Amino acid sequence: MVTMVVKRGGRLTGLQRDVLNLYRSCLRAIRKKPPESRNNFLIFTRRQFEQHRAISKSDFTTIEYLLRRGRHQLETYSNNGVRNVAI
Amino acid sequence: MNSCRTSLATTSSAIAGSVRRSMMSSTLRAPMVASLRSMATATSEPARPASTPRMKKLKIYRWNPDEPSSKPYMQDFEVDLNECGPMMLDAILKIKNEQDATLTLRRSCREGICGSCAMNINGTNTLACLCRIDTDLTQTTKVYPLPHMFVVKDLVPDLTQFYKQYKSIKPYLQRADYPADGKETLQSIEDRKKLDGLYECILCACCSTSCPSYWWNQSEYLGPAILLQTYRWLADSRDHATEERKLALQNSMSLYRCHTIMNCSRTCPKGLNPGLAIAKIKKSMAL
Amino acid sequence: MSIRVIASPVRASLARPCLGLRAIRSSIPTHGVAVRHLGIPPLIAQPPGGIVGTVNDAAKVPPPEKVHGSYHWTFERLIAIGLIPLTVAPFISDAALAPAIDSVLVTTTLVHSYFGLQSCIIDYIPKREFGKVHDACMWLLLGGTIVTGYGFYKYETEDIGLSGTIAKVWKA
Repeated sequence: MVTMVVKRGGRLTGLQRDVLNLYRSCLRAIRKKPPESRNNFLIFTRRQFEQHRAISKSDFTTIEYLLRRGRHQLETYSNNGVRNVAI
Repeated sequence: MNSCRTSLATTSSAIAGSVRRSMMSSTLRAPMVASLRSMATATSEPARPASTPRMKKLKIYRWNPDEPSSKPYMQDFEVDLNECGPMMLDAILKIKNEQDATLTLRRSCREGICGSCAMNINGTNTLACLCRIDTDLTQTTKVYPLPHMFVVKDLVPDLTQFYKQYKSIKPYLQRADYPADGKETLQSIEDRKKLDGLYECILCACCSTSCPSYWWNQSEYLGPAILLQTYRWLADSRDHATEERKLALQNSMSLYRCHTIMNCSRTCPKGLNPGLAIAKIKKSMAL
Repeated sequence: MSIRVIASPVRASLARPCLGLRAIRSSIPTHGVAVRHLGIPPLIAQPPGGIVGTVNDAAKVPPPEKVHGSYHWTFERLIAIGLIPLTVAPFISDAALAPAIDSVLVTTTLVHSYFGLQSCIIDYIPKREFGKVHDACMWLLLGGTIVTGYGFYKYETEDIGLSGTIAKVWKA
């Protein structure tokens, strides 16, 4: 979702941590999906994040907006009724 | 609907129609009767020649979530009032139909019953369908989404918190026993009258989003619309959960952030008085 | 992440001036560093839009506290109503009664302004967002009120008092 320039050994900013946390919880949510569709969900998640790779690291408001939207999306897609995702 | 209204606008039957329509809306909103009547007579003037378009300038707030790094901006539009219905919603839908289909807004009933098209027009929160277009062509009309809410897109605000708060007041009849005959719970005419001015609220969120207290403390203060609804259930003779409802307001934030600023009553497009309802709750809870 | 930019452009705040401490603090782009240098604890991060839980959960109802609810409001109103006769009293009463009326008037005014400023603090420096800064402001207000009260006590006992001052200014 956001450019992740992770310096080796360097401290992440709070916002970067938030983005990584969101990504992690997405991966966790994928594990609860049926095995045959997990790969689709993974591709979908990666695409959602990579789509906004170009956003500047200091563009806080945009990143916060995307985080908000991402969390909302995660909540929606986490529903057990969602069995598969088409890309 | 839009085109039908426009094509009729030059005929006499349309004048009768528009008068009838404004009479209907005058029952909706008593204080506006005078201005609506004068508007109705304005439309009964001989139709202007079609060759002189009356171009009205509109500035509309735009923000597209698909380009999250771009900033929101105001886009200029021009609408010919000769070919447009009388209300702001007509103008905005005309723009959406003919000029820019990406313009996003909520609308449904176009007659002030659904509360979907709540937006900030010329600095006042109102329903676009109940707001007449200002016919002064020198003035630009500005249209924003409801203030101090997150924007989903263009004129669509995120009302999640508003609805969650509405859910938190348990807006339904609560009582242990229902009539033995299995029919409806009855109420005297006097008790029913207490609900007038309360049940008409359509939860358009115009009042809540006009309240400075709600701007600052949205996550804790319930806001005028929800408090009006709370009072609607407190005042209902059929509801028996009065004490629990009052207890839920017994803290410094939920109710007592109201400082009787009265923006709510001033802005309400249905002419209701949330400020008075809140005052009545406070009074009933005192001592 | 310590400071969230509250006045984000995503909100419908375009071309609207933002007022208030929060707007000023949130415009600091360094994520709390500048604020921390001043020794002020950073803002507490808020869930976006104040939304906790899923969209289908009801907003949380806080635990009932009548002291902060109806009792507070009732007392506040009684004080406010009581002030009306008290402000008129010094003009019509006997000069011998002045110290007694003065003391009641000053106390009520102080309590009244205490409640007013307390309301401002709850509104603009909410505990939810400011945490300890909120508490500090409340203590500061209480301290200020007590100091003012003590000052008036000295003024009444050792000098001409409030109504004496007004009478003097009136004649001057």
